[in-house]
Amino acid sequence: MTVFEIHKLYCKTMKKKRLYSCRGNLCTKKFWLSMKLTLIFTLLATFSVYAGTYAQSTKLNMKFQDQQIKEILGEIENQTQFSFMYDNNQVDVNRKVNLDAQGKSVAEVLDELFAGTNTTYKVIDRHIMLFKKDDPTYTYQNQTISGTVTDSNGEPMPGVTVVVKGTTRGTITDVSGNYTIDASGSDILVFSFIGMASQEIPVGEQSTINVQMKEEAVGVDEVVVVGYGSQKRSDITGSVTSVPKERLGKLPVTNLMHAIEGSTAGLNVTQNSSVPGSSGTMQIRGINSINANTSPFIVLDGIPFFGQTNDINPNDIESIEILKDASAVAIYGTRGANGVILITTKRGNKSAGAPKITYNGHVGVETMEHKLKPMSPERFVQKYADYNTQNGLAQTSVLPNASEIENYNAGITTDWLDETTQLGNIQDHNLSISGGTDHVQYYVSGSYLDEKGVVKGYQYKRTSFRSNIDAKINDYLKVGTSAFFTNNNKDGGHANFLNGMAMSPYSVPRDENGNYIIYPMAPEQLFSNPLLGLTTDQLNRSLNLTGNGYAEVTPGFAKGLKYRLNASYIMNIARTASYTGRADNDQSGTATVSNDNTSNWVIENILSYTKDFGKNHIDFTGLYSAQKVDYFRNWAQSKSFINDALSYYKMSAGVSQANDTRGNGYTLVSQMGRINYSYDSRYLLTLTARRDGYSAFGANTNKYGLFPSMALGWNIANESFMQGMDQVNQLKLRFSYGQTGNQAIDPNQTETTAATVQYPFGGTALTGVLYNTLGNVNLNWETTTASNVGVDFGFFNFRVAGTVEVYKTKTKDILLKRNLPGITGYQNVWANLGKMQNVGLDVTLKTVNISTDDFKWSTDLNFSTYKNKILDLYGDGKDDIGNRWFIGQPIHVVYNYEKTGIWQEGEDVSQTDPGAQPGDLKYKDQNGDHQITADDRVILGQSDPKWIGGMTNTFSYKNFNLSIFLQTSQGGLKSNRDLTYADEAWRRNLPADWHYWTPENKDNYWPGLAAYKNYRGYSFPEDWSYLRIKDITFSYNVPKAVLNQYKIDDLTLYVTGRNLYTFTKWFGWDPEMNYDSRGSGDWTNNYPPVRTISFGLNITL
Amino acid sequence: MKIIMKKYIKLIVSSWLLLTLITACNNSFLDEKVLDAYAPATLDNKLGFEASAIGLYNHFSTWLTTTNDQTILGMFQLGTDITWNPMGRSNGNARPYMDYATLTSTDDAADKYWNYLYKLINNANILIYNADNSSANDMNADELAAYKAEASFFRAWAYNKLVTFWGDVPMVTEPLTEPKTDFTRASASDVNALIISDLQFAVSNLPDVDAAKEARANQSMARQQLAEVYLRTDQPAKAEEQCTAIINSGKFSLVKERYGDTSFPGDAFSDMFRVGKQRRSQGNTEAIWVLEQENPADVPGGSTGYPQQRRVWGAGYHDIQGLTMCDSLGGRGLTRMRLDNWVLYDLYGKNDMRNSRFTIHRQHYFNDPAAKYDAVRGLPVPYGKDTTFELGGDNGQLKIFAIDTVYKLAPYTLKWGQFDPRDTFGYGMWKDFILMRLGETYLLRAEARFKQNDLDGAAADINVLRNRAHAATVSSSQITMNFILDERARELVGEENRRETLVRTGTLIDRAKSLNGTAPLADGNIETTNGIQDYNVLFPIPQNEIDLNKDATLEQNSGY
Repeated sequence: MTVFEIHKLYCKTMKKKRLYSCRGNLCTKKFWLSMKLTLIFTLLATFSVYAGTYAQSTKLNMKFQDQQIKEILGEIENQTQFSFMYDNNQVDVNRKVNLDAQGKSVAEVLDELFAGTNTTYKVIDRHIMLFKKDDPTYTYQNQTISGTVTDSNGEPMPGVTVVVKGTTRGTITDVSGNYTIDASGSDILVFSFIGMASQEIPVGEQSTINVQMKEEAVGVDEVVVVGYGSQKRSDITGSVTSVPKERLGKLPVTNLMHAIEGSTAGLNVTQNSSVPGSSGTMQIRGINSINANTSPFIVLDGIPFFGQTNDINPNDIESIEILKDASAVAIYGTRGANGVILITTKRGNKSAGAPKITYNGHVGVETMEHKLKPMSPERFVQKYADYNTQNGLAQTSVLPNASEIENYNAGITTDWLDETTQLGNIQDHNLSISGGTDHVQYYVSGSYLDEKGVVKGYQYKRTSFRSNIDAKINDYLKVGTSAFFTNNNKDGGHANFLNGMAMSPYSVPRDENGNYIIYPMAPEQLFSNPLLGLTTDQLNRSLNLTGNGYAEVTPGFAKGLKYRLNASYIMNIARTASYTGRADNDQSGTATVSNDNTSNWVIENILSYTKDFGKNHIDFTGLYSAQKVDYFRNWAQSKSFINDALSYYKMSAGVSQANDTRGNGYTLVSQMGRINYSYDSRYLLTLTARRDGYSAFGANTNKYGLFPSMALGWNIANESFMQGMDQVNQLKLRFSYGQTGNQAIDPNQTETTAATVQYPFGGTALTGVLYNTLGNVNLNWETTTASNVGVDFGFFNFRVAGTVEVYKTKTKDILLKRNLPGITGYQNVWANLGKMQNVGLDVTLKTVNISTDDFKWSTDLNFSTYKNKILDLYGDGKDDIGNRWFIGQPIHVVYNYEKTGIWQEGEDVSQTDPGAQPGDLKYKDQNGDHQITADDRVILGQSDPKWIGGMTNTFSYKNFNLSIFLQTSQGGLKSNRDLTYADEAWRRNLPADWHYWTPENKDNYWPGLAAYKNYRGYSFPEDWSYLRIKDITFSYNVPKAVLNQYKIDDLTLYVTGRNLYTFTKWFGWDPEMNYDSRGSGDWTNNYPPVRTISFGLNITL
Repeated sequence: MKIIMKKYIKLIVSSWLLLTLITACNNSFLDEKVLDAYAPATLDNKLGFEASAIGLYNHFSTWLTTTNDQTILGMFQLGTDITWNPMGRSNGNARPYMDYATLTSTDDAADKYWNYLYKLINNANILIYNADNSSANDMNADELAAYKAEASFFRAWAYNKLVTFWGDVPMVTEPLTEPKTDFTRASASDVNALIISDLQFAVSNLPDVDAAKEARANQSMARQQLAEVYLRTDQPAKAEEQCTAIINSGKFSLVKERYGDTSFPGDAFSDMFRVGKQRRSQGNTEAIWVLEQENPADVPGGSTGYPQQRRVWGAGYHDIQGLTMCDSLGGRGLTRMRLDNWVLYDLYGKNDMRNSRFTIHRQHYFNDPAAKYDAVRGLPVPYGKDTTFELGGDNGQLKIFAIDTVYKLAPYTLKWGQFDPRDTFGYGMWKDFILMRLGETYLLRAEARFKQNDLDGAAADINVLRNRAHAATVSSSQITMNFILDERARELVGEENRRETLVRTGTLIDRAKSLNGTAPLADGNIETTNGIQDYNVLFPIPQNEIDLNKDATLEQNSGY
């Protein structure tokens, strides 16, 4: 089965397999009945005549001695196209009989088998129903109830089973979702449909009962995308987690990563920045590699995704599945080791008939969630005085710079935070049209997002368009496409938020003519006007053009066989252009343009085969695929323009010009096989193997890696001994073991190469080469061996449900960018070295705390933790202090001095840190040699959080819905750049909450203003744990009764607040985001955390 | 039915065929080709050798143009006998080199310099190896030897720095083909032998200065370097021989008259340091090795970084009200170092051209063209005393403080002066680097002669320079090692690697203590040399190198 088919399942008739194996608590009587009735009423009229003929004419060839009836039925299924359905409680199929059926028809055999019992049968097309002769199905007398059943979008639902509880009496809804049934006032109607939560509604006085079905999140029969196909949740053996669907709509987010952060156990999303259009980083179950890429592999609609996550419009997403254990990811071979994220977009629905038009949009305002206010003018002046005192400097003026003194004397101050920031806003509009007939289904959507940031000049716009089409050409051929286009626009010059925080309050942004002053703190030239960037021209676009096509052949001659061809071509284009001119203090003017083009094609041949025999079910999937990626970049720069009039549109007008091109590419060839076997839906087995060849591996290797895995599952709840335990709805034990790979190195790492460089001789630059990369021709993939034990459970009618999993991974031949002694002439080299281990626990829990007719409260909890450990680096069990890698420790540790406080006046430094001054950082003398040296550095902790978690509480009352989502990250240490401004502290402004030691206040946390001279490279590591009220959504579904008057199917109004509050001990703007200090990194990512309040509506016509 | 089946078969077969076509030859499909970087095999011809040689200059220059960090140039000047650290001005990488208690094994500057030198050595090794093993047919033996000589010069230059500053160091003479982490320190005498043999080869195979392309290695460069190495290894006769060869070559002469564009005030000595007049082709007859540098705003690829020399040596006079940056004041400086009082007040005799206002700037005059400074423009800026000027009208007062002499008005050398009105902030300094000139050749020969007890000869060499500078001549009885080192300061301050000279001559500790002082001055506003100990003559072996060199022990220098 393929990803494209899950939508079809919506109204699909039941497969033979599922009917036959239905039994026990997991698949209740109610369910069985509904299936039976579905078939009766849909098929009876059409096929009964023909069926009867077939039953009479088909001859059997079998003979049994003392055999159970159910085995005989199984054999009949094997020899014919018939399938049986029956209820264990009604029909005794365990009875053993003798049977000689050589040359007999099916009808004859059945008559013989059930002669003398109260069991009878009915043949409907290829299905044979067994039931008790006195079944009350057709014997009733009551009032007539009618109504319409709709889905969560208000769409009529055909094929929904409606049964009077406790009987097999029922019906199914027609194409318009309408039904009619006879029942008494004391009866209860049960509405059920695959993938939807069943609803029980007492009849009472009502003669019309309209029902809206809701999708069931943890339902056992949920169909889940698993990669190169999909599976029933209950049949899955690997670790596959679905991201809650509620996270995918109604949130004012621009990137799917923002939506799913904290929502799923084992998935760690970190947002390093709030800059509009920024994404973040993802990790699944920790880090398996040291230097190679550790981001999960994203598969979009079955095809390896190529682009940035911004390219995927969250509103187009139908579902997201996270594959975590070896069994689930092994089918992705050398790209699976970091976990796999399967994203499926929405597709057309053939049951919809008339086109369904949906609009989903929201508008909101953005503010700074937490302000790190700069010091007041008074404190700013005091700080300079204190700096001079503490450094023994004579103070000659109230402030260091002439312009500051002028403003000070004139009493002019500026609130620079106010100058550089603004009220942001966001609007997002999505329009989709979907629908279809039996032959063609379509989903077409367009979206426009516009975000104006809270720092001046920052903005993000996204325009996207998607077209998903499926067409059934004939009985055996189906074709389709998934095509989309996304344009990301981050144009515009930015205000420099870092400088905005640094500017003296005694400086002004504009001169008397209203132009920006280049150096407001003149003659200080270290900090230029933070608003200068707004005068520059900046174009920053990225474009993703993706076209996927598939053809699926289901030949009639081999039942269960399917061949699918996927072909995909993707073009990513990134385009930038920039012009900085005189107003930005570029006195000659500089224009720079760049174009990056990456093209990627993938061809996949997928062969699948499904076969049932007896209680055995087998699925086979085979893959043969190839992929090729080509990258090309061109870049040009021109300087020295006459004036700024032409911006970047006429580069030849500049005097000095430079340009560059880059190119590389890689190829991948893969074969994969997977077998899923299940016996009686109780015992499950999955075997997979994938072989990948990757061009970027060393010339000395054969470039191929093989990655096998196996998984076992045991549906305990399906066992007969669990029959009586009604409170256990689901209980499944899973185990998997296997290997996956990581190839994540860039092309061209395996050859020693020289960079091209330039040097001027006689007024012209000549090109030279400089050897700077040492290649490794033996470079190969790294291998992760992983085991996973998991329990899926659902108790008390799924009031309590969840999954607990423990895992252990060991990675060897790690792709390691190993630092080399500089004596070699190189800095580092890629090598397969070292071993690493992760042991972890993922817990997902969903509880329905209160469930009444009107009020419902449910809680979703997830928790993940893992312990990461380097087992070995170079095969000799030795640490690598130079790289900060220690055996037995996590990969990312903080290795530094241990700060114990601040040296106070009068304390004896001679025994610990001779030379330390009062106000200096006090370090612990770890080795007791009475001095602080490099040997006193210790491991202070790990950088990655020790555990992360998320909790959603959802309250619904009638049509109102309130959802509160909390997200947390605990136990990580990282360097806090806001704790030190080193030797700049005296000449720039600092946060108001920033303190410093003085002889008077004797602070034991903040060092003095002269302490930077003796920092010794201390990086100020601090705990960045936090608990965030990530979002709260309050929504209202307008009642159908109201909507019907306006011919509206569905209307939901909502208000959402995002990043509402953060609980943390971290000093600074935000613990999760990264901030660079001046002169390092990229100031454009320094951006305050953003709170968004938005109002939205979803409307369906 | 059969017809339908045929259709399926066709479909399946054609799909498989399609894939087979694309991936038909799996091996070639997975072959990798480096498209945008050169591999060694692609460089075995004359153009490849030429490019490899240019790469050496590129890397060589990176130390001169580094901004990582901005104070790092000071490591070779602070804590010696010539410069002080105005409080707060050199607290980056350079600081441990005047505040010796903080010079430890994790020192950044030592680590960076070490790595820089070995990278130069590796690239030189590759060129030397390729020259020895070339199969190129577009070069003859002489051409190959010339490239080898050019690489040998750089290799010797780098090892000379290593052995001077660290003593025994690991010696690598061939390119690496795989990672290596078992280096040990070779004895200084072995390293010296390699340096001398490389330089001898360079002397024999490099073209003379007229035959060499400008700014490329020439024979005299190799001789001058060799002379210095001979002096360091106590072979003064051989040193003298090399110096004499340069002096008598007839290729160079001291600049005694003004030359080139003389439309601005100046003198012969300062002309050599003027942008546009530094190169041999621009009239500088004294130039042995001038490394070219172009303003990248005009010549793409004109520099490998943002040279900090002007900012390190120049004063921050732009911080004084009423003063504005200009060409004759040398552009914008930050006074990361300040010449010490010994250099400023004790070193030069009367009329010494090397101390003229065109080379060492001492007196400022208010020059801000803004109308509010009309009242003071043209007046001398008071030095060392608190003074208040009334600017008249609404313009208030202008105050000058005694403390401004610490870095805002500190006298400074104009050898690194450069001003581009398009770029007043001047993060980079865009002028050539004078690395070797004939003036120093005389000083090296004077040292060689002194060491051979030829005091007359030494005095004669020194007087050649003093005559050019219009300074009083000296007699042989005045010649001591200290006098020669003083004379080097007079002639080469700002140019030479002062620390290297003092370490080479074994005089660092004494001179740093006696001439620079060991206690803070001006209420702590000026730091001198703090806590230098005997072991500080050598740098610490970078701790990173010891840590990464995991398969053998790199012994640390004693004291660290």
